[in-house]
Amino acid sequence: MLRRVSLVAAGVVIVVIAIVAFVGLFMLRQPGPLAGTTTKLHLETVAALSDAVEWPRPNDPHPDWVGYLPTTTWHVPANSTIQVQIDQEDGASGLRNPFWGKVFGIEGGTMHVKYFDDKGNPQEGDMDSIDPTMAAHTFAIPDLGVFVPLLGVGDTAPPGTQNIITFSFKTKGPGIYRWQCFVPCAAGTLFGNGGPMSTIGYMGGELIVT
Amino acid sequence: MVRLLIIWVILSAIGIVAALQLNYPPYDQSIQGQDQASTLKLLTVLATPVFIGVVMMILYAAIYFRRTVPELVDGPPMLGNTPVQIAWVAISAILVLFLAVVGIATLSSENVAQAVGQPGRAIGQSGGQTGSGTAGGTGSELHVQVIAQQWYFTYRYADYDGVETTHLYLPLDRPVELHVTSLDIIHSFWAYELGVKADANPGVDNIFHVTPQKTGSFQVRCAELCGLWHGHMADSSGQVVSQSDFDTWIAGQQADFNTIGKVVPSYAPYYFPEPKLKAG
Repeated sequence: MLRRVSLVAAGVVIVVIAIVAFVGLFMLRQPGPLAGTTTKLHLETVAALSDAVEWPRPNDPHPDWVGYLPTTTWHVPANSTIQVQIDQEDGASGLRNPFWGKVFGIEGGTMHVKYFDDKGNPQEGDMDSIDPTMAAHTFAIPDLGVFVPLLGVGDTAPPGTQNIITFSFKTKGPGIYRWQCFVPCAAGTLFGNGGPMSTIGYMGGELIVT
Repeated sequence: MVRLLIIWVILSAIGIVAALQLNYPPYDQSIQGQDQASTLKLLTVLATPVFIGVVMMILYAAIYFRRTVPELVDGPPMLGNTPVQIAWVAISAILVLFLAVVGIATLSSENVAQAVGQPGRAIGQSGGQTGSGTAGGTGSELHVQVIAQQWYFTYRYADYDGVETTHLYLPLDRPVELHVTSLDIIHSFWAYELGVKADANPGVDNIFHVTPQKTGSFQVRCAELCGLWHGHMADSSGQVVSQSDFDTWIAGQQADFNTIGKVVPSYAPYYFPEPKLKAG
């Protein structure tokens, strides 16, 4: 009898440890915020973290997940203009709601995009919207009214190409503002909104305004 | 017993007067909100004497039937009191039947909340959802579609070429027909101050009516646990404005929408966006 109880107790302990390890290592683990407060955000978006060029994250538990790098938690000053550069390396997968193909809430109403056209030639220009089917990701801070679609790298672009998107937006008062991607870009998950879309540190995070 | 009855009547009268002084949510920004607040007030007024009576009986029993010394024997058997039992059942029945009549009269009114029996549309109003009541207001009905997605609401105005917006603006004193749907999973559209709460289901056009009665801002939030950013799926920028302000605002929205309008699907009762699964 004592042996049976001990076996059950040991089994329960093992299951609890496994659950805690799973939650701790895979569910709650996320990169820390950028050091210090900044008015310039330089980010990289990749189809898989293992493909990262500028900010590799070799120990990430999900090397095949899509993500923003180097992190998704940033400290920025209140009532300031934040300059953003996103080096976008992922291909297009399209917006579920084409409406988000339009730019909202940024300075001047347009973003500057360096990209490669259908013939593989480098181009650049200011855009206030993109073809929703060509969106790879979006950079959206709904509480600030900021919605910026990120043009996907075309099939004709040279290997290893980046689309470079630059824009700026203004912060409001202190607070924590969530930001997210509106492209359902989590490959292999229901509606494309699981995995990296539902875990802070990949396709969503927090803008901490102080 | 008579003394207790007098105390109960006095306390109930005080309680009812106090209950009548309270402001009940969701307050009065829409006709539907007013209806809900009135119903809450009626229920509170009816429940107050019952609540006071129950509390008095508990206190009375605790004080007058308390045991001062430990005893291990049962108390005397309770054989019942026929007049009290008749009164108790009769009063409860009257209260419940009265509320049933009020409820049935509301549900059978001409302006129920949801359209019924139209192909592809929701039928009936499930439990816990609100937004019913008289449509009221003046002018033609405004048709607004609420589109939920993880994790934000957008709005399309069918009467204005299907223009889509990031905030919900409604004109004062004009009946509005809300068409609530979703692009992905189940959400719930909750415009608290307007007294509207409706399931947002993919492939379903859930129809509710609201008639704003006061200008000012209102909150919109999701009331169905929908994932990582459910707690942030809210917008405090909803506005009830005058018809002229609304006309100005919607004209600006239409101008903005032109840049993307050509690639946004035509207005439809609901949408089945693809891909549901991202390839790769």
